[in-house]
Amino acid sequence: MTATLRPVDAPSGSPPAGARSRGGRGRRSQELAAHLFMSPWLIGLALVTAAPMLASLYLSFTDYNIMSSPRFVGLDNFVRMAGDARFWTSARVTSLYVLVSVPLQLAFALLLALVLDRGLRGLSIYRSAYYLPSLLGSSVAVAVLWKQIFGQEGLVNQALDLIGIQGGNWLQNPDSALWTLIILNVWTFGSPMVIFLAGLRQIPEELYEAARVDGASQLRMFRHITIPLLTPIVFFNLILQTIGSFQAFTQAHVVSGGTGGPVDSTLFYTLYIYQQAFVNFDMGYASALAWVLLLAIAVITAVHFTLSRYWVFYGD
Amino acid sequence: MGAGAVAGAGALAACGGVAGGGGGASGGALRYAFWGNNVRQTNYQKAFDLMAEQDEELALTVEFAEYSAFQERMTTQMAAGNVADIFWIPSAQVMTYYANDLYRPLDQVESLDLSDYSEADLRDFLLDGGHNTMPFGIFVPVIRYNATFVQDDGVDWPDSWDWDGFAEFAKGYSAEHQDRWAVAYAADADLPFEGWLRQHGEQLWSEDGRIGYTQEGLESWFAWWEDLRGAGATPSIGEQDGVGASWEDVGDRCLAWFSNSNHIVDDATMFPEHEFALSHLPVDPSAPAGHQFLYFPRQAIYSGASDENAERAGEVFNFTTGDVEMLKIVGLTMGAPVNPRVAQEYAEFASPTETAMLEIVTEDREADRSPRFEAPPGSSTWRTVMTRVLEEITLGSSSIPDAAASMIAEIEQSIDRAASGEESS
Repeated sequence: MTATLRPVDAPSGSPPAGARSRGGRGRRSQELAAHLFMSPWLIGLALVTAAPMLASLYLSFTDYNIMSSPRFVGLDNFVRMAGDARFWTSARVTSLYVLVSVPLQLAFALLLALVLDRGLRGLSIYRSAYYLPSLLGSSVAVAVLWKQIFGQEGLVNQALDLIGIQGGNWLQNPDSALWTLIILNVWTFGSPMVIFLAGLRQIPEELYEAARVDGASQLRMFRHITIPLLTPIVFFNLILQTIGSFQAFTQAHVVSGGTGGPVDSTLFYTLYIYQQAFVNFDMGYASALAWVLLLAIAVITAVHFTLSRYWVFYGD
Repeated sequence: MGAGAVAGAGALAACGGVAGGGGGASGGALRYAFWGNNVRQTNYQKAFDLMAEQDEELALTVEFAEYSAFQERMTTQMAAGNVADIFWIPSAQVMTYYANDLYRPLDQVESLDLSDYSEADLRDFLLDGGHNTMPFGIFVPVIRYNATFVQDDGVDWPDSWDWDGFAEFAKGYSAEHQDRWAVAYAADADLPFEGWLRQHGEQLWSEDGRIGYTQEGLESWFAWWEDLRGAGATPSIGEQDGVGASWEDVGDRCLAWFSNSNHIVDDATMFPEHEFALSHLPVDPSAPAGHQFLYFPRQAIYSGASDENAERAGEVFNFTTGDVEMLKIVGLTMGAPVNPRVAQEYAEFASPTETAMLEIVTEDREADRSPRFEAPPGSSTWRTVMTRVLEEITLGSSSIPDAAASMIAEIEQSIDRAASGEESS
C-alpha cells in the first residue's frame, strides 16, 4: 500500500536529482506518518490479538488447568476430540444453526431491503427500526426476553392459546429449543439488510429503464439485473454472517443457563469451549477446540471464495 | 466469544501462574471478592462502610459479580496470579483451590479471633486436617413449605416425614388440588441429594476424593423423584421451566420445595402474601446415626497476600463472622451465623423466616454428625452433568440405570483427569 504513495507536489515524469532527493525525504516522511497513524492498531493487534492467539496455540498442545504450569502433551487434545461425544454434538448443533439461520436471515434481509428500496415515506424510520434488533440481538437482554416469549406461559403460547392450541415450553423441549435460537438469529437481519439496501442503491437505474423498454417483467429484471449485480453484496453478507453464526454464544448461554440444554440441544461450539475453559478448567483442551473452530471457519471461508468465482458477478 | 475468550485466558496464562504470582494488593486497600445479586452487593457495601468507619485500616475494595461471572473472574485472576486478598469459595471448587495452594493457612493469622468457637466447631471447619478456610454461614437441606396453603387446605403437616410417607402424601395432595402441586421436581437439588445419600449409608464424596455413592444409591434417588413426577405430584419439566424448578414460575403453586435452608430468606420475599416454613428432610427408617450434616459456605485469604494484608484480613473475618451489626445489615442470605454467640444475639432481631431457619440449623448443628467431605478437584461440573442426565430421564431418552451409570462415569473421568494433571505437575 505504501508503494503507491506519492508526494502530492511531485511532478510527473523523471524529476531532477535534487527534486528526487527532496521527493525521497517527503516519501519517507509520509511513510513515517502512515506508520505512526497505524501504530496504535498494530500494537493492539500484536498485544491483544496476536500474542494471545499464539499463547492459545501453544496451550492447545498442553494439559493446562490454569493453576498449574502447562504440561506439553503433543496432539493429545486433538486426538481426544475424536472420542468426545459432546464435541461432536456441539459441532452438529452449530452446523445446523449456521446452515439454517444464515440463508434464512439473508433471504429475509434481502426481501425487506427490496421493500424499503421502493421509496417508502419515512424510510429512515423503518430502516432504524429494522436495524435495532441487530444492535440488541446478541445481547443478554434479548436472550432473556426470548426466554419469556418462548416459555411455558410466554407470548407464543398465549397467542396459540387464542386459537385453541396448547403449546409446551419451547426452550425446554430438545426438538424445538435450537429452532427458537435460529429464529432469534434470523430476527437480527438489520445489519445485512442495511448493506443490501446500500447495494441496491448502487445498481444503475439505466439498466432497469433499458429492460423496461425491452418489455422485461419485474421478476425478470429482478432475476437478470438485481440479483447478478447484488451478488458481491450477497457474498459479503454471507461471509460475515457465516463467521458470526459460528461464533454465536450469548443466546445459548443465557437461554440454557450455560448448560447447552436441554440434553445438549443448544450446545453451541463456543459454549462448549467456554465450559471446558472456565468450568472444567481444561484450558489446554479448550484452546485446541478454539483452534479447530478457527480452522473450520478458515476452510469454509476459503470454500466460499473458491465457489464465488462461479456465482459472484463483479461486472469487470 | 469462543476463540477470543480462550485466547485471552491464554494471554493471562502467559503472564505467570498462581505459584509465581505476586498475589493481592500489598499495603493498599484489601480486596474482597464475593458473589450474589445486587441486593446482596448493596447490603455488603453498607456493612463494609460500617466496618471502615470503625477502623479505617479495614477499608475494602470490593470485587463483586454474579455467581458464574465470579468464577470466571477467579479463573482469570488465578491464571494471572492476581487473586483478591479475601475471596468466597464456590462449593464445587473448595478442594480444587486447595489442591492448587490458593489458601493461606489461618493458624498463621494472629489477628483472627476464634475464641467464640468450641473445639468441635473448629474441627468442622478443617479441610484435609488444616484450618485454611473460614466458614461464614451454615446451610442444611430442608423441605420448605407454604404454611398458608397448609392452613387453607387443612393439611396436617407432621414434625417428621419418612420418604415413602411424604411421597404418598404428595400424590394424594396433587390429586385433590388441580391448581397446584405438592412439590416441585428437585432431583437436581444438591443438599437434599446429599441428605438422601447419607441416610442410605453413602456419601456425596469420599475421604479419598472420589465419588462416595454407588450407582444403586443414585438410581434410588432418581427413581423416588420419577415416581412423584409420573404420578403428577410435581409440575412437568416444561411447567417448572427446567429440571431445576423456577421459583418465580411455580413457587406460589407448589406446597413444598426441597432446597437449602438459607433460600427461604430471599425466596419468601417474592410472594409476600404467603407464609413459608421449614421442616427437616424426610428421614429413612434405616438411616444411620449421624446422617445430618452442615454445609459451610467458606471464605479464604489468598496465599499470595502479604503478611500485613493477611493480618488485616483476619480482622475482616472477625467482623464478617463475629459482629452481629454486620449481620443486621446483610441479613442471613448466606445462612445461619457460623459463630454461635452471634447466632444467639441475632435471634433477637430475626424475622419469622430467619427464625425458622435458625431453629432448623441449630437442631442439625446440635445433632451428632458423621464427617462429610468436600468436592474433589475435577468434580466441579458434577451438577451440570446431573442436570443433563435428568433431562435425558425426564424426556424418556435414557433409562434411570443408564443415566446413573453415565453420570458416574463422566464425573469419575473428570476426577481422574484432574488427578493425573496433579501427579504430573
